[in-house]
Formats: sequence, C-alpha cells, structure tokens
Amino acid sequence: MKEKQNLQLLSGNHAVSWGVKLARPHVAPLYPITPQTPILEKLTEFHSQGELDAELLTPESEHSAMSACVAASLTGARVFTATSSQGLLLMHELLHYASGARAPIVMFNVNRTPGSPWAFWPDQIDSLSQRDTGWIKMYSESPQESLDTVIQAFRIAEKLALPLMISHDAFYVSHAVEPVELPQQELVDNFLPAYNPELRLDTSLGQSFGAPIDQATWNRSRREAGEAMARVENEVLETGKAWGELTGRSYAALENYRTEAADTIIVTMGSMCGTVRDAVDALRDQGTAVGLLKVRQFRPLPVQTLRDSLAGIPSVLVLDRNYSPGMGGILHQELKSALFGMRDAPRVHGLLAGVGGVNVSSNKIQQLVAEYADAKPSNDSVWVE
Amino acid sequence: MREILIVGRGGQGAQTAGNLLARAFFGEGKYVQTFATYGGARRGTPVTSSLRIDDQAIRLRCDIECASALLCFDDSLLDEGFLARADSKTKIVVNSAKSRESFRDYGDFIILPINGKDIARQNDMGKVVNSALLGAFIAVLDQPQLETMCEVIEQTAPAKKQQNVAACRQTFQMFNDSLQAG
Repeated sequence: MKEKQNLQLLSGNHAVSWGVKLARPHVAPLYPITPQTPILEKLTEFHSQGELDAELLTPESEHSAMSACVAASLTGARVFTATSSQGLLLMHELLHYASGARAPIVMFNVNRTPGSPWAFWPDQIDSLSQRDTGWIKMYSESPQESLDTVIQAFRIAEKLALPLMISHDAFYVSHAVEPVELPQQELVDNFLPAYNPELRLDTSLGQSFGAPIDQATWNRSRREAGEAMARVENEVLETGKAWGELTGRSYAALENYRTEAADTIIVTMGSMCGTVRDAVDALRDQGTAVGLLKVRQFRPLPVQTLRDSLAGIPSVLVLDRNYSPGMGGILHQELKSALFGMRDAPRVHGLLAGVGGVNVSSNKIQQLVAEYADAKPSNDSVWVE
Repeated sequence: MREILIVGRGGQGAQTAGNLLARAFFGEGKYVQTFATYGGARRGTPVTSSLRIDDQAIRLRCDIECASALLCFDDSLLDEGFLARADSKTKIVVNSAKSRESFRDYGDFIILPINGKDIARQNDMGKVVNSALLGAFIAVLDQPQLETMCEVIEQTAPAKKQQNVAACRQTFQMFNDSLQAG
C-alpha cells in the first residue's frame, strides 16, 4: 500500500463522526436509529473524552431533534444531526421549516429501506422522498468521501444559508471499515471559516419572529431560496477544489470516470458508483467504450452540466437504487427531464437495480451494458432481475 | 483480490472477527474492506461479515457471491444458502464438535471443523470463541502472520488478553500441523 499520512481503519459512519468533530459544531441534537447509531455513539464518545466541545442534545424523537436544530441554527450556532429512514421521515415537517428559515443545518442520513415491510437494507427512497423540502442533497460513495463531504458541507451550507443533507448507503458504506485518511485539525480550521451569520436570534433583543406573513412574502421567500439554490453547483465545485488543494482529493457536483469517447455511460449515485468503476474497467479492458457519470449533487440537479456531459453519447443506463411506485426510478425520471429537448440527447434506459438492497455485482452491471447496447429505450423504468 | 465471509449469530463475535482480521491484514500493508450485514441488531439472528483484501484500493460495494474462504461460528448456519456462496475450492472453517468426516454429506466442499468451544474453555475463555476460531482460520488462509494477528488481539481484546492470544496460538498450531501433515 502506498504511504499515506494518518491512514486509519474507520467505518463510513465513524468517518462521518470524525469529520463532524473536525468541523467543530456548537450543537448536535441526535436520536439513535439503525444503521445511523454508530455516528451518534462516536460523537458521544468524543464528547465524553473532552474532544468535542459541542452541546449534544438527545431529545425524545427525530422530530424534536430537527426542531432543536432549527432553533439552534437560527441563533448562529453551527449545527449537525444524523438520522436514517423512519427518523428522516419523522423529521419531514421540520425539513421544510429549516429550509424556509434558511437554517444551514448539516445532516447526515444513512439510506435505509422505510417500513413496511420492516427492514434495514440500503435503498435511497428515504432521502429521495425528501427531495422537494428545499435542502441541498448530496450522495457519498465511500467512507473517505463521507468524511471529506461532511466538512465541505458546513462551508457550502453556511455560505448560502441553505440546509444540506448528505446520504450514504446502509452497510455498503455506513458499516464498511476501510482505510480513511484523517485530515489534521489545523487544516480543517483553515479550510472552514467560523460561522458568523449577519442575522441571528438573540435573547437580548426584544423582537418577535415567525408571525404569519402575506402571500407575496411567502412567494418571495421561495424565490430567494431558488436564487441560493442556483449558486450551489458553483459553490460545491469551488469548495471541492479548495479541499483538493489541501488534501489531494477534489470534488464536484458530478464526476466523469472514463467517459472519453464512450458509447454507453452509466449514471448512478452513492455506493453503486464503486462497483460501476470496477465494471467500467473490466469492459474497457475488453474493448467496450463505457464510462460512469456519478451524480454527487442531486439537489439542485446540475442540469446544464448533465446535458453537456451526455451530449452526443449514444446510450445512457441509469441505475436507480430506489423506486417510486407508479412512477419508477427517481434518477431516471429526473435525468429524462434534465435532457428534455436536447437535439443530440442519448437513448436513456432506466433500470431499477438494487431496490431494497438486492445485490448488484460488477458482473451484473457488465451484463446490463451488453444487453442494452442497442436496445430501444422504454419510457418506464425496468426492473432488473 | 481475496474475498472472505464470516457468519455467526448476533452476539457471537462474527463482526468483531471480521474487523480484527481486517486490522491484521491492514497492519501488513494491505488494502481492506470489511462490512457486516444483519436483518436486525439482536442476539441470535444470523450476522454476516464480508471481508475483501487487495494490494490496491477496493472500490466494489456489493455482496461477495463466491468467497475463497468462509469462517462459520455455528454449524447450524452451515446450510444450503450459505454454501451457495462457496465452491469446491473454498476453504471452510466451522466451529463444531463434529468430526471432519461428518461433513462429507454436505457436498464437494473443503470443510474443516474446529472445536472452538473446547479450546475457549481450555483457555479460561468461557463461550467466547472468536480468538480460537481466528487462529485456525489464519492457518488455513496462510495470511496474515500469527504474530500480527496476536498483536491485534492483544491491542483490542477488552479482557483476558493473554487467554485470547493463547487460544489463537493453540488453534493456529493445531491447524498448521495438520495442514502440513496433509
């Protein structure tokens, strides 16, 4: 193994906790849920050892945890929370509130199947069903990326006054223990400016907030959130570049892997990107021109960059580890919408692969590429057997 | 890339065994990835720990469909579903008081039983079998080195460090001797 500094064996969840500790949040309201709990456990361990100088709150539910996040954030505190599946769904009402109040909370979600039926498998429908709540949404492929992204997330969210949710898949990332490079505290302190919002709640000021407003003001609040959303992709790119200059690991909203002169590009999010890389290398070795377009930033969807990346590509396979009953794979539908009206748009095949955590191997992906090379696209997403 | 599966019942230490083995390979300069999957975090239900070892960074994020080696904490878990993830070359170490011959009916597999409970008891370890099983398993894997494994056990065992190390050494020796004898 090549020499790397400060390489430690960490699970994806513990890598998140390390990233949070290095980002020095002031407040972290948390509620346990499988498979997120190791994030909470590690943070409480850091706290008990005096290594995390934050106020940890353990309220009675995720709904209360998110309520506490909103209030704390509006006082000008740097705020973190983590959850999964049912917990995220219980927060739903407050997710809208957080974005409307422009509270730059950073939340980590571990993607897990929601009940019923009851299960704990990796599936992204929990976070994707929150797509219209006004949060920035990012998906991580690996423990290292989860650590790097949670640190970058505070810079992005606080700069734009928007809440940001990062998700990684249950087990394949959350519980995967592997070598992770830990950045030094000094590096993170220099990278992450102190959070100092212009406006904040202050008990020494006798003012009232939260009163009902008129239609036009509510309307304006959403237009302003939309304007902030329009700045996200560039902020993600600038922040990812700045991180790369310090650590050698750069990030952007999308990542192209071996897409040069590709006949087929696979588009997906989260843990499956790793397996797709392996499949791409195997297929390239056999002379098949295939690449990966990884969607790291899902909301706002980087529409123009997606169009530029896929212009002139004959065929696109979208691998969705989620299913919206009556509609299909969410990334498939989003991509079709993003590419609408393009003169040289690719044939887009939507494949429901890995829904409910079923296994998607490198061999399976290679078979799918062969199977769909010349196939006619269907408007509907297709179940992969 | 080597792909290994460890299966046990919740609370037996299969996940810990996967993590310790990964730590030992990592200590010898390998890239590793280990993850546990379980239907629900409670004692008694099956837990599978998957382990990949390679000289390059590991990118795969999917299940191991056919392992080169299996460690089974409980012979009642050695069923068709589990053996579907093995082939005739897979080396299978199983915690069992039964003889090697009694596993012949399972099919064309290399099944090597070790009485982990007996070894644990001999070393004042009660029912805690994972160090005993790891000793036998690394002898079969031929990696990592016994000393690396013992070092990891000593660093991480929450109690009875010397007894854990002794159990690991004892089964390693037993398996090493019998493997050399053919």
